[in-house]
Amino acid sequence: MASIAFKRVSKAFDKHEVIKDLDLTIEDGKFTVLVGPSGCGKTTLLRMIAGLDPQTSGSVLIGGKDVSRIAPGKRGVAMVFQNYAIYPTMSVRENIEFGLVNNKVRKAEREELVEGISKAVGLYEYLERKPSTLSGGQRQRVALARAMVKKPSVFLMDEPLSNLDAKLRVQMRIELIELHKKLGATFVYVTHDQVEAMSMADTIVLMNKGVIQQEAPPDEMYRRPSNRFTAQFIGTPPMNVGELGESGSLFGFRPESAVLSEAQGDEPFSVRGVIATREMLGSETIYQVRSGSGNYMVKCSEDLFAAGQEVYVGVPAAKLHFFGEDERRIDEKESSYGKCMEALRGRSHG
Amino acid sequence: MDKQRLGETLRPYLMIAPAMAGIFLFVLYPVVFLGYLSLYDYNLMNKAKSKFIGFDNFAEIFSREDFYKSLSNTVFYTAGVVILTLLLSLLLAVWLGKKSKFNVFVQAGIFTPHVVSIVSIALVWLWMMEPNLGFLNYVLKAFGLPTSEWLQSSKSALMSVILVSVWQGIGYYVLILVAALQSISPSIYEAAALDNASKLRTFWKITLPMISPQLFFILVIMTIGSFKVFDTVKVMTGGGPNNATNTLVYYIYENRTTNIGYASATGVVLMAIIALLTFVYFRLLSRKVHYQ
Ligand SMILES: Nc1ncnc2c1ncn2[C@@H]1O[C@H](COP(=O)(O)OP(=O)(O)O)[C@@H](O)[C@H]1O
Ligand SMILES: [Mg+2]
Repeated sequence: MASIAFKRVSKAFDKHEVIKDLDLTIEDGKFTVLVGPSGCGKTTLLRMIAGLDPQTSGSVLIGGKDVSRIAPGKRGVAMVFQNYAIYPTMSVRENIEFGLVNNKVRKAEREELVEGISKAVGLYEYLERKPSTLSGGQRQRVALARAMVKKPSVFLMDEPLSNLDAKLRVQMRIELIELHKKLGATFVYVTHDQVEAMSMADTIVLMNKGVIQQEAPPDEMYRRPSNRFTAQFIGTPPMNVGELGESGSLFGFRPESAVLSEAQGDEPFSVRGVIATREMLGSETIYQVRSGSGNYMVKCSEDLFAAGQEVYVGVPAAKLHFFGEDERRIDEKESSYGKCMEALRGRSHG
Repeated sequence: MDKQRLGETLRPYLMIAPAMAGIFLFVLYPVVFLGYLSLYDYNLMNKAKSKFIGFDNFAEIFSREDFYKSLSNTVFYTAGVVILTLLLSLLLAVWLGKKSKFNVFVQAGIFTPHVVSIVSIALVWLWMMEPNLGFLNYVLKAFGLPTSEWLQSSKSALMSVILVSVWQGIGYYVLILVAALQSISPSIYEAAALDNASKLRTFWKITLPMISPQLFFILVIMTIGSFKVFDTVKVMTGGGPNNATNTLVYYIYENRTTNIGYASATGVVLMAIIALLTFVYFRLLSRKVHYQ
């Protein structure tokens, strides 16, 4: 009913092109997270959907209909701003009600809606208060309620949790996921935090410098990153990536895929190194191993080694990733995959 | 121990003593003296002949026709200046609110009269408003519009004085309002756009409440200022023609030599009116003003 599509969309701010010829389809009813480093154009993309900063060229479709000439208030979208953008002069009730009044919803119906929503987000007792007397978390809920009450088919959220403290953020994440399930609307959620993206998304759209790097569900994004950027953006600590030799190809493995041992195993990747640092995080320990071919981060569930100790870092074949000269993923089926594996094995056991 | 505590108690009073001395000397003492004078039939030539007459001066004020004339002139002047200034400065501020080179230029132009002395301005307007040779009538004639007697007719004189006062003061208030408008976060307007609010509704429900502290400030400051208008009247009309522009302060000024006791009593009445008006403003409007 309300899928979103970008068709060859470009956006420039005074000649400075931020997004160029972008094609993207956001599925109806899905929770889609736009993630990427700061300044990569996520907000710009979101604002084009809302119609606040229309595209320079190309077209944006909502529910199959070109909305390029439709005003923001008539697109059936609601947005939660990063700074909440609550109307400071209005009470909580007036804030939530404002859109309904503008849409000429009758008073009785309006009151019912506002009361229902405010109970759902826990603001019922605060309806007559001014926003300046509310806490950060409560203001966030006002912004949410204001968006929800209009029953939009598309929900846009621009880093809505970034101003909350860590504990509240985790709680709100869960609430947002539940909210999405309940409403069944299309959610487009912007964040620069890959953990947030991984935990909430049905589909992640990863961007860098205005270009979409990969579009996939979280598990695929994690297991089969389509290029070096994706591999190193998703996951903490990021994937270890090293050069494979003259060909310019790269190999990579996730910190938790490596095994530390005192004796050399027969894995295709196996190097000797010294533990430079050790971070004990409770359920897991992160070691930084310094070796002749570079530094590697290794995550272990057991805390068996100490700093300064000499160890072997081994990675089984199934856990290795290869990237070509152009930093794109080399798939298992491609012929160069085998070559890369041989090259790595030769280097480790040569 | 006790000495130390005494010192601590006294210290803040010592700190504010110089400022308080100034206030006593230049604010409180003149006000009290004004009140004192208002109760006397005061003789400036021979102090010994001054006579305490209680509230007789006040009784006289409220029984004299010319007092009511100058009071109604002042009220009309104040209402005219305040309403026109508020409306025009709001209009101009909304127009100039968008940042651009041209707007900054216009803003500087509008502000310029504020820098010039009101006396010079009044003089220039006096010439421009001259009915036969003045610039204003020349322009009106050129466009085939009916001319005006401006300051020379008791019908249009007060309106002409209002015009000059508004013209002089408006730049300053536009500046205040432009600053207020520009400090409103653009995302609030974006939220309103997404809430499907029309331009007019956005203005009424968001812009106006957001700048209400500044509007209220202008209202109070201008009302007080306009009630005390003097220089424009003095330079342009001298209260005439036929008392058509005689305002309260000018009325006081006229009586200063002949009857200082009576003039002081009028000053007390003026003070009371301004205090009452300010009080009423705060009572009626402060709930509608939104402070961040
Ligand atoms: N109004 C604007 N004027 C000029 N440049 C802008 C504007 N908004 C965003 N940009 C630029 O566009 C790029 C993308 O910005 P944005 O979409 O806000 O990034 P983010 O991914 O952090 O949300 C940045 O380089 C930013 O400087
Ligand atoms: Mg952003």
